Amino acid sequence: MSDTNGNRTTMTTRPGGSFIGSRAMPELVYHAPKTLPELMDLIKIHGPAARIVAGCTDVIPSIRTGRWRFDPGLHLVDITKINALNQIETHEDMLKIGAGVTLTRILTSPDVKGFCPVLARAVEQMASLQVRNTATMGGNLCMASPAADTAPPLLVSDATVILQDARGETTVPVADFFTGPGRSVMTPGQMMTHICIPKIKDQDSAAFLKIGTRTAVIISVVSAAVRIGMAGGVCESARIALGSVAPTPVRVTAAEQFLSGKPLDDQVVDACAGMAASAVSPITDLRASAGYRKDVAKTLVKRCLMACRKDLT
Amino acid sequence: MKIPLTFVLNNQETTLMIDPGQTLLEVLRGQGGMTSVHRSCEEGECGACTVLLDDEPVNACLVLAASVQGASVMTSEGLVKDGTPHPLMKAFTDELGIQCGFCTPGMLMNAYALIRKAGDTELTDAVIRKTLEGNLCRCTGYVNIVKSVKTAQKLKMAGEWW
Repeated sequence: MSDTNGNRTTMTTRPGGSFIGSRAMPELVYHAPKTLPELMDLIKIHGPAARIVAGCTDVIPSIRTGRWRFDPGLHLVDITKINALNQIETHEDMLKIGAGVTLTRILTSPDVKGFCPVLARAVEQMASLQVRNTATMGGNLCMASPAADTAPPLLVSDATVILQDARGETTVPVADFFTGPGRSVMTPGQMMTHICIPKIKDQDSAAFLKIGTRTAVIISVVSAAVRIGMAGGVCESARIALGSVAPTPVRVTAAEQFLSGKPLDDQVVDACAGMAASAVSPITDLRASAGYRKDVAKTLVKRCLMACRKDLT
Repeated sequence: MKIPLTFVLNNQETTLMIDPGQTLLEVLRGQGGMTSVHRSCEEGECGACTVLLDDEPVNACLVLAASVQGASVMTSEGLVKDGTPHPLMKAFTDELGIQCGFCTPGMLMNAYALIRKAGDTELTDAVIRKTLEGNLCRCTGYVNIVKSVKTAQKLKMAGEWW
């Protein structure tokens, strides 16, 4: 069978049952290691043939539609049965979420609400209950979609991810993690183990908003997150991040710096939102046009800033 | 190469021979014979294949069957007791929450989990709609579906439930 690009794709019929589905899943070997050392062994043994998966909510459609390419002899390594990657922990002022924690658990965790409420607000608007019950934040980040809704809240929270391979652990700021659509700094053999989020300061407020083509179960046309810290009536620290308007989720640092030392009056809010929108380069696709995305980016940043302002006064 | 999958299907321990690449949807409909699990979009948009995995609703099309080893799976077939429809099913038929019926098994499983979790807290329209946002009904029968869920919860509170 060939796909629209003329590339050969795998097609298998089920022994003992007829083929169902738009495109069958290929022959593969499934592994569910229970510990991190077992997992690292599997990666070592199978090398590039091993693909790490968690909830599979994006992986299964990606394999079916041919978006995910691989050579025959695929080994799927499921990390969701590993206890160490399934915890939400707090260490003083740091929230540490395992890469295999489901979105539902993030949404319902009192620790997430206390440490990073803006993340909970974003997760609440992601996909459906059924998907949130299996999908993970690690998966959302590793698939590196420009529209990943967990990315803008993590960017404004100065979050980091822990990557591990045979040589050891590396910590990477989420701001440096994405390199392009579907691409990140992760190298073959490397896996994400945890996402670390510093606790939001008492004098800070953060907001997240997204716009899609409908209100539920939708990929963002534009998403925005903002975190503002105020002192003495002026903006002391600012973080502004946008999703779906560039090849990766992005921080708009020019707009952030613009706010420094300024009061959050209507004029400043408006100018800042305009700067954020002009700093990004969205594309036109089947969900929205580039122009519409720029307009909406401005509106969402403005609304987020106003929400923070309201919260802080 | 086929592998054995042992799990609890509608309260019965079951072993099926599966292909590691098969989704839970394919296995439930195929080897499992549970044809109430409807195949539709196969990418988690419609909810027609919703089943309970360890009591939580999931899209069977987005779960690898091999990953439910040792877990408990419930389909709407499991709601029927000795040939008698579950009170939740009765509520859906009484309130006309069912039209063509294609989305119904998925709606039932999501609603079943919701009502069970809600306990004595009366479900509001907003909560029901938010919970069922991943279940599409193309007969546009949402008003009656919300009504059905509320009626079903009343039946549960009146003790008519299993």
